Amino acid sequence: MGADVSAPDSGGGKKGPGVKKQARKDTRVDMTPMVDLGFLLITFFVFTTTMSTPKAFKLNVPDDSAKDEEQTEAKASGAFTVMLSKENHVYYYEGQLQADGSNFKSSNFKDIRAEILKKKANTPEKDLVVIIKPTEEASYKNVVDMLDEMQIAVIKRYAVVDINDAEKTLINATEGSSPPAGAGGQ
Amino acid sequence: MSKLNKIPRKSTWVDMTAFVDVAFLILSFFMLATKFKPPEVVKIDNPKSVSSENVQDKDVLKVSFDKDGRVFVSFSADQDGREKAQLMAEQLSKQKGLNLSNAQIKSFINFSVGGIGVPITQLPSFLNLSEAEYKQLKQPGIPVQDTLNNQLYDYLNALLTGTGGRKPTNIMLNGDNATKYPYFKNVLAAFKKSGIFSFKLVTSLEGVPSGTPLYKQQNEKK
Repeated sequence: MGADVSAPDSGGGKKGPGVKKQARKDTRVDMTPMVDLGFLLITFFVFTTTMSTPKAFKLNVPDDSAKDEEQTEAKASGAFTVMLSKENHVYYYEGQLQADGSNFKSSNFKDIRAEILKKKANTPEKDLVVIIKPTEEASYKNVVDMLDEMQIAVIKRYAVVDINDAEKTLINATEGSSPPAGAGGQ
Repeated sequence: MSKLNKIPRKSTWVDMTAFVDVAFLILSFFMLATKFKPPEVVKIDNPKSVSSENVQDKDVLKVSFDKDGRVFVSFSADQDGREKAQLMAEQLSKQKGLNLSNAQIKSFINFSVGGIGVPITQLPSFLNLSEAEYKQLKQPGIPVQDTLNNQLYDYLNALLTGTGGRKPTNIMLNGDNATKYPYFKNVLAAFKKSGIFSFKLVTSLEGVPSGTPLYKQQNEKK
């Protein structure tokens, strides 16, 4: 009967049977540029933002000026010393360093975790202390990785200390290089 | 008859409306789930750690060092950070006899967001640079090599004198993977000498390896 006044459909409108031809304007909008714009904005955000925010690793350092008596004594048998050298080399020994270096062992970052856990299992918690001694060639990453291992193994007592000469000699002997001439290279 | 020879044409027009919806959905995801990277003057690759505590961005004093051992100090851009930057500048000026003008102190506060890493003697001329020159300059870093002349200690001491001993709420250490241990040790020495014993290291997140005591501890809590 009357003209069909429903919403214009795509395709330009079919002629109904017996209906007068109406002048229909094409109301389609081409969305292609809109898509381009959308993807441009996405690319902008992909490049200028970051999904992983940096995390904070809490660290407490001891006060060196504290008197010696106040510092807790570490039982030699509960001590586990880890030395960090250049190129991700790791050395360790349990207890005190023997004069002939018989308990000086070498390892790497993957295996040291097993060694630490083994030591932890064999030692009463109040005696266990891990001493970390980085050499001058150890990198910051090595030190943080080792501190991280302390967190992973849940070691309550650990300390970062300077390396001494006896250990330095042993490391150099193992690595086969001559001792460094001066302190603090680059 | 002619109709039989006509090649039937099919429409090749594709409706792009759905594409737009998808594009804006992805865009919304990125806008909501990510944060803008903070402007850094120096590129630093952080080591990974299992710590999952988030880095704070209020009242932060950040000491950064890159792989060449160049040390920088920076403050957060909020009110507390700016206040501390101003105090550090004023005290340094007084203690080292630099006589910094107000414009230079303002410059210090501005540059402290991205990072300041110059020896104290170069500070006045450094603060006269414009914003563009500052971005271009490859700063030499605060010297910490020499234990007797650890200038980081001077910077920190100036800050603590200015605040009357009050430390910034968050003290962060932002180090590069490849930095050699002596630089880290000297930065720590400056911290200890200034009475800073508790601080945080900036690291990237790493998953806790399964089977380890920490993993078990975290699972027990759940």
